[in-house]
Amino acid sequence: MGRLILIAVRNLLLNKRRSLLLGGATVAVAMLLVLLAALGAGIQDTMLKSGTAIMTGHVNVGGFYKITSGQAIPALTYANKLLEDVKELYPDARQVVDRRRGFGKVVSNSDTILASLTGIDIMEEEVLRSVLRVAEGNLDDLANPRTIMLFEPQAERLNVVVGDEVTLSAPVMRGQNNSLDVTVAVIAKDMGLITFMSSFVSKDTIRDLYEMDDNTTGVIFIYLDDEDDAEDVQAHLRAGLMDKDYRLMDRQEGPFFHKFNLVQGEDWTGQKLDITTWEDELSGLQWTLKTFDTVTTILIGVLLVIIVVGVMNAMWINVRDRTREIGTLRAIGMGRARVLIMFVLETIILSTVAAALGVALGAGITHLLNAAQIPVSRGFQIFLMSDTLRMAVSVDSALVALIAIPLLTTIGAFFPAMRAAKLKPVTAMHHVG
Amino acid sequence: MISRFFYPTVMTLLVLMLVPKTASALDKEGVHKVLTTIDDRQSNSGDYKSLAYVQTTEKGRDDMVMEAVIYRRDADDKLMILIIKPKSERGKGYLRIDKNLWMYDPAVGRWERRTERERIAGSDSRRSDFDESRLAEEYDAEYVAEKKLGKFKVHHIKLTEKKGADVPYPVTEIWVDTKSGNVLKRQDFAASGKLMRTSYTPKWKTLYSESKGEKVWYPAEMRFYDEVEKDNSTIVILKSVDLRTLPANIFTKAWLESKSR
Repeated sequence: MGRLILIAVRNLLLNKRRSLLLGGATVAVAMLLVLLAALGAGIQDTMLKSGTAIMTGHVNVGGFYKITSGQAIPALTYANKLLEDVKELYPDARQVVDRRRGFGKVVSNSDTILASLTGIDIMEEEVLRSVLRVAEGNLDDLANPRTIMLFEPQAERLNVVVGDEVTLSAPVMRGQNNSLDVTVAVIAKDMGLITFMSSFVSKDTIRDLYEMDDNTTGVIFIYLDDEDDAEDVQAHLRAGLMDKDYRLMDRQEGPFFHKFNLVQGEDWTGQKLDITTWEDELSGLQWTLKTFDTVTTILIGVLLVIIVVGVMNAMWINVRDRTREIGTLRAIGMGRARVLIMFVLETIILSTVAAALGVALGAGITHLLNAAQIPVSRGFQIFLMSDTLRMAVSVDSALVALIAIPLLTTIGAFFPAMRAAKLKPVTAMHHVG
Repeated sequence: MISRFFYPTVMTLLVLMLVPKTASALDKEGVHKVLTTIDDRQSNSGDYKSLAYVQTTEKGRDDMVMEAVIYRRDADDKLMILIIKPKSERGKGYLRIDKNLWMYDPAVGRWERRTERERIAGSDSRRSDFDESRLAEEYDAEYVAEKKLGKFKVHHIKLTEKKGADVPYPVTEIWVDTKSGNVLKRQDFAASGKLMRTSYTPKWKTLYSESKGEKVWYPAEMRFYDEVEKDNSTIVILKSVDLRTLPANIFTKAWLESKSR
């Protein structure tokens, strides 16, 4: 076998042009595969990281309070006790924060937009702070009372800068509207679809706008070390809170604002908790991710088919070019099996080295593109959920490139190699062309 | 050897040091006095009623002319604005009680709490433009300079909202006629420093108040220019000012609702 490998390597080195062409094509495909997968993984990573910071925790304890059976608000009463109970039931959480929920109009002198108004304590929000990129102002200023953080497109539309005042107007209970003036404390960079209608305000703003007491909040976000544990933690909290006599809503996927109609149609009053995971809350985004995954998989599949056809074609030409060489090898005693192995070995060596090079190049280019922080157009930002191109090389895609490409090219090379091995020495030696 | 410029320079400096400061530059106390005078002259310890004609010009729209009645009870800080014309706006109104500004729309029969930044009936005017002046109470003042505003000699004063004050703009600059003590020009700024609105009060009138026992000043005409949406402006003309006592039940939600029935 050692000799066969040596012959295969020598053959590859002797036929430099052919080896470079075939190897180059394989490098390009492996690199494209890694880049395409990195783009997909980058979008998925950004989307999940942003989504689980802006819209949801890994596990959420939310719920609705109903004064009458037909009127529901997304609020948790006796929040301090509930917060303590949640921390007691799951003390291993990376972080537990509560946010107040609201929705209404943001009115400036120039225009009006609709936005979710999330009341936060910015000093507690480590996870949120890690994903936000400030365009103007200082995040810490959101700790001041009656302040708001807008995203760049919202600020542009409202024609406001940091320090300007806007009016919040929101429907409250009993069919009444309430308004409040807030100062723009910070403007964050656009994060696409996920921030299209999101804004953050200081916690007191939601309290004053909805005339809540200090012991009322909107939702408790629980961040875990590993988001894959969310389902188990959700089940654990559900059981624990039921034992503590809290009333719980049935599990239903979808963000909380999709549940208003359902809750308002139910015949109960008072407080009920809704325990969800990030997958429940981001079910709408999951569809986008799955669609992108499907498109990526199809593209990668097409690329692999192209390379297999290319390799087969190259190998057919290779066998044809080397027919006389095969005849000579057979005439001096090389068996059919060894001829077959020699041709297959050539492909395995070439495709493995080329795939490894392609993966390394793809990873390198990904790293460079990330470091360059290439800005993307606003249209693409909506989908990418970032104002710069972000990619992530996944181990899976690297392994696929390192295993699938040599495997498929070897399969592609197998049939031409079989034909070469079947040639009679005399026929092969008399071959012209 | 002493330079030939030495003596003239020293003399000039001495003269500059000995000349008293310009008599018109006001110190902190003086500025405060200007503000309290403005507030006192407009304050009427009793009630107030006037007819307001509001003409609003907006880019791309026909001018809108509105007629409203303003009711005030200065002793209790109460204010009511009842729109009577045009027909489409009739019955809409604003009521200020306990520092809350309420807006009522008879079309939906609903009360909404609004803020000091509310554009009264979509115009460039704010609630405070129709209310009594509370400059000394709501702002910290800083003297800028004595200037000329057209043919008028004016005090240019910068006002910054006091903590907890509920005002439409955090920073305001006023130009006060040194002779009459009337505010002739006003510019309102956002906290970022952006100029939001410029207004002029070219006409001031007086009326004898029996409850106060002296004359009360009121702006007879106000012109507001939106500095963000540059083509928008509003003219407010106040007429038929009446300082007689108003019925006690006017400043209630029920009274305003009854006017739209």
